[in-house]
Amino acid sequence: MTENTDKEINAQAERPRANDELISKATSGEYKYGFVSDIDTDIIPAGLTEEVVRLISQKKGEPEWLLDFRLKAFRYWQTIEVPQWAHLDVPDIDFQAISYYAAPKKKEGPASMDEVDPALLDTFNRLGIPLEEQKVLSGMAVDAVMDSVSVKTTHRERLAELGIIFCSFSEAVREYPDLVRKYLGKVVSYRDNFYAALNSAVFSDGSFVYIPKGVRCPMELSTYFRINASGTGQFERTLIVADDDAYVSYLEGCTAPMRDENQLHAAIVEIIVEDRAEVKYSTVQNWYAGDAQGRGGVYNFVTKRGLCRGDYSKLSWTQVETGSAITWKYPSCILAGEGAVGEFYSVAVTNNYQQADTGTKMVHTGSNTRSTIVSKGISAGHSENSYRGLVKVARDAKGVRNYTQCDSLLLSDTCGAHTFPVVDVANPTAVVEHEATTSKISEQQIFYCNQRGIPTEEAVALIVNGYAKEVMNKLPMEFAVEAQKLLAITLEGSVG
Amino acid sequence: MISAQKAFAQYIDLYKDSVGHVSVSPMLTALNRSALAALEKAVQTFRHDPMGVADVSAPEMFAPDYGVNILGVRLPVDAASSFRCGVPRLNSLLAVVANDGYYPTQNTASDLPEGLTVCSLRDVPADISVRVSEALSRNLADGGPACALNSLFLHDGVLVYARRGVKVDKAIQIVNITSVAMPVLNIRRVVVIAEDDADIKVLLCDHSQAAGVQTLDSEVVTVEVGDGARVELYDIEETLPQSRRYWQLFGRQASRSHLSVGSFALHGGRSRNEYRIDVEGDYARTELSGLSICAADRIVDNDVRLTHAGSHCTSRQLFKNALFENSKGGFAGKIVVKHGAMFTDAEQTNRNIVDGEMARMITAPQLEIYCDEVKCSHGATTGQLDERAMFYMQARGIPADEARRMLTQAFMVDVIDSITFEVLRQRLHVLVEKRLSGTAAGCDTCATACHSDLQEPV
Amino acid sequence: MSETLLKVTDLRAGIEGKEILRGINLTIRPGEVHAIMGPNGSGKSTLSGVLAGDPRFTVTGGSADFHGVDLLALSPEDRSHEGLFLSFQYPVEIPGVTMVNFMRAAVNAKRKYFNEEPMSAADFLKLMRQKRAVVELDNKLASRSVNEGFSGGEKKRNEIFQMAVLEPRLSILDETDSGLDIDALRIVAGGVNKLRSDRNATIVITHYQRLLDYIKPDFVHILYKGRIVYSGGPELALELEEKGYDWIKQQVDQNSLSEK
Repeated sequence: MTENTDKEINAQAERPRANDELISKATSGEYKYGFVSDIDTDIIPAGLTEEVVRLISQKKGEPEWLLDFRLKAFRYWQTIEVPQWAHLDVPDIDFQAISYYAAPKKKEGPASMDEVDPALLDTFNRLGIPLEEQKVLSGMAVDAVMDSVSVKTTHRERLAELGIIFCSFSEAVREYPDLVRKYLGKVVSYRDNFYAALNSAVFSDGSFVYIPKGVRCPMELSTYFRINASGTGQFERTLIVADDDAYVSYLEGCTAPMRDENQLHAAIVEIIVEDRAEVKYSTVQNWYAGDAQGRGGVYNFVTKRGLCRGDYSKLSWTQVETGSAITWKYPSCILAGEGAVGEFYSVAVTNNYQQADTGTKMVHTGSNTRSTIVSKGISAGHSENSYRGLVKVARDAKGVRNYTQCDSLLLSDTCGAHTFPVVDVANPTAVVEHEATTSKISEQQIFYCNQRGIPTEEAVALIVNGYAKEVMNKLPMEFAVEAQKLLAITLEGSVG
Repeated sequence: MISAQKAFAQYIDLYKDSVGHVSVSPMLTALNRSALAALEKAVQTFRHDPMGVADVSAPEMFAPDYGVNILGVRLPVDAASSFRCGVPRLNSLLAVVANDGYYPTQNTASDLPEGLTVCSLRDVPADISVRVSEALSRNLADGGPACALNSLFLHDGVLVYARRGVKVDKAIQIVNITSVAMPVLNIRRVVVIAEDDADIKVLLCDHSQAAGVQTLDSEVVTVEVGDGARVELYDIEETLPQSRRYWQLFGRQASRSHLSVGSFALHGGRSRNEYRIDVEGDYARTELSGLSICAADRIVDNDVRLTHAGSHCTSRQLFKNALFENSKGGFAGKIVVKHGAMFTDAEQTNRNIVDGEMARMITAPQLEIYCDEVKCSHGATTGQLDERAMFYMQARGIPADEARRMLTQAFMVDVIDSITFEVLRQRLHVLVEKRLSGTAAGCDTCATACHSDLQEPV
Repeated sequence: MSETLLKVTDLRAGIEGKEILRGINLTIRPGEVHAIMGPNGSGKSTLSGVLAGDPRFTVTGGSADFHGVDLLALSPEDRSHEGLFLSFQYPVEIPGVTMVNFMRAAVNAKRKYFNEEPMSAADFLKLMRQKRAVVELDNKLASRSVNEGFSGGEKKRNEIFQMAVLEPRLSILDETDSGLDIDALRIVAGGVNKLRSDRNATIVITHYQRLLDYIKPDFVHILYKGRIVYSGGPELALELEEKGYDWIKQQVDQNSLSEK
């Protein structure tokens, strides 16, 4: 290195971080969904025993086979331990201190909107999720899940005309037991991992979607999750089946009140995609992340997986992860059908003391299957943000293609940005590429924006949104705007 | 999957039974003693790496019932009569390690340049013994069970020591020969220390004559590069299908130092190569490169952990594997950038060709970054030879097999060209070509000239 | 001359299940130069690829007799040894393989095919030097990787240089004029003309008449929708230059309509 460049570098290093102040200001953006609703809730006492599992099943009036499924899962769960392999510092969780069932009290289920608890309606209105049919965005059907129970599903009749089933999981168990039984646990076995076993034992509700052969779902289907009650966990299950030539775009949003305690969210999403069918699953995850000192926040330990078992089937995951104190989540695709396509587009933003270990698994067992992974990690404050991924090409899978791009952006010198991919290729016709970069937000870019009159906070949001654009573009329009704002809020004042 | 406890119990028992029977030097005996606790702890805390190739994990490699030369006897070896070196006419400063015993040649026994020491670890000069002793035990705690075991039974080994400002043009070549008739675990150690501003080249060549016998070579290489010093280290593996090798490199770099390591796996059985490099000083440069050409049931698993703690440092990694037939390859490469390692510029590239119905490659390039003022990237690809290039060559009349061989050679060319040591670079082009065309390893023009004057150590 | 060098009969071929060549008939005798012209997408490059054995294409019917040898049954390298040379429209870059090694492998593989000893290094270098002169190729290119970092013109000259070294009986020049400036074009065409004899033949595949000013064809064929729809003398190329391809398209499309 020449003397000159040495000097330049030193000068750069010594220059005070002019933006520090602004940046730390921005990180303290308020969580606008942090309110608690005063709703009469039916909560069972904390603790998890076989009796509790039986009680949940009984409360929901479930058939014997489902109780059996829960009990098997519970007994398996008792034999296994919390996973330790992620790059996360997870405090010991007392699983006996959590209540495993909390439901807004109601009568036999609302027959019309008038019967829905007004406080509940108000809650979802404040979240921007109106449940009244006439107010619902014309292009979207919503299933709202409060704590553990599905509250209201909109647009049911219109969907039913097309043979589309979109209802709460409990209702699906009652109305379509054969369908549920056929697919439940087929993609994510209760033996899959610790949290999957826990969910399988105690799940209380969730959404069920079935798109029949040849039907393109005419509107976005959406589930909105909300943890309200204190001292509870949320354990919902989503099951989506797209039959031959079907298409559906599914959105998922989540929020929780601001509480000092940590709340556990351990969900399962299972998706089955048949011949030539396509499922697009988008998530904007905005669980409460805890405060600037790292107090409180949701532990988001989720198992999401889709089985593309049909030939030329396609599953696309898009996620914008901004919330949760700790995220542990790997939406995955098993590409079993000939020519199946899997996609994973992710933006994960962590700030303050948030921790995220997220990524995907693309398991290629079918020939000529293709997958694309684009992951953008953004870390600020004292957060830890990791991408973890697996691309596996089975011995018999010919002509497989994968392309992975994972980038990390660091906005402070006290955060961590990590990349842990594994590529396992056992077939000589596969072409698999992985690229990753880690870089800092460019001071030159910020300066350039400043010079054009854009304040630093806005400049950071602008640059980060640009950086994440490739993923944001994959979101449905209504969500994209929301997600963009969310990014800006999460990162307010976070460049270091 | 066998547990570490089970795999290593035989060696712990063996050591306890034999303790006190042999003492070759106080320094090594002290090391052996402290290694016992380290091994017992390492065995307990051992975790299987989900990203590594399971067949060459420490427990799998050490589990078979190998004989260990616990008494430090010098096994009779007739290396000179049958051994042929693959890298002739280097005009190097040559020493041979036959199984686990050190044998200098004329030029390492008495003709060394001033300021350079090459000797057995039994005979470390008194004035540097503290420094060497520290280097020997430095990685006992974090080197895992393999390193602890190596330290437990170590009773010989090689020291290469360059004093302040010493520059040596000739390479110091250490030829390891495994020549036994029964399943044996060879304990080998090389300590390379370059004091401030020293500049040396070390070439390690692994060979085996133990045809048909499964052997395990436990090789630990410790490299310490002082302020402004430069060390080039090359490792060539040309052993046999039954050979097993557990190779560990521990590197430590001071400010403005330059460490360059090149590893070339041409022939062998199962190999696990671990690189642990700690860049502690500022303005240091690190280059790691490796290639492996694997066929039949060959396994080569490279596991790199490069830790940047100093600021303004640069590192470059380039690893390439070509896997044919049933062979298996692994690459786990982790770059850690610690808090405060400002202006780190780290790059890692791993490229693989999988060209066998049963071949498999597992790649895990990893970044762990705790500092924002950095430029880090990694890229990994696994694929095949370029089909368009294959057709172009065939259209010019070049048969498919030859085109494949030429393209594989071309695929490897940048790894070989990264060698700054010119004689070796030229030689490796030839060796790789020979390897690909299936001609036997070794060199027909060499005969035994390079080690016909092996001497008993003084 | 009545001896036939290449006789293509009802050749059909496609890519990924899509038929591109729908029955090509073509006869070429030693000493002849044939130009094959046609609009984009008519199948010109498919024809050259299929004749050279490009694995991307699948032959679905027909035959190609190359001086008594069943061309389509041979591997690409054996087609080369038998005297077929394809000058690629897009010469492939092969990083890490030097031109010298590449050409030596090609020359010696051919000699081996005819049970001849490999060429000595001295003879080989002499041959390279000699042939380089044909296209005024810089000798520095020899030590560089095949086509890597070559300019468009250098790549095409490199193709003709290889043709000179391998002395084929039939050369197919696939869009050799594309991307060349007028000087490079002259050098390339000059090289081709120097190599012409009454024992070998050339197929010039081109979109434009331009190249044919330099390499004079004996026959001109027009390829459209996978068939040769017109054949004629050199005057046909001039007519095309004047009128463009549209009149051909119209006429052919009308005919096919009236057939229906």
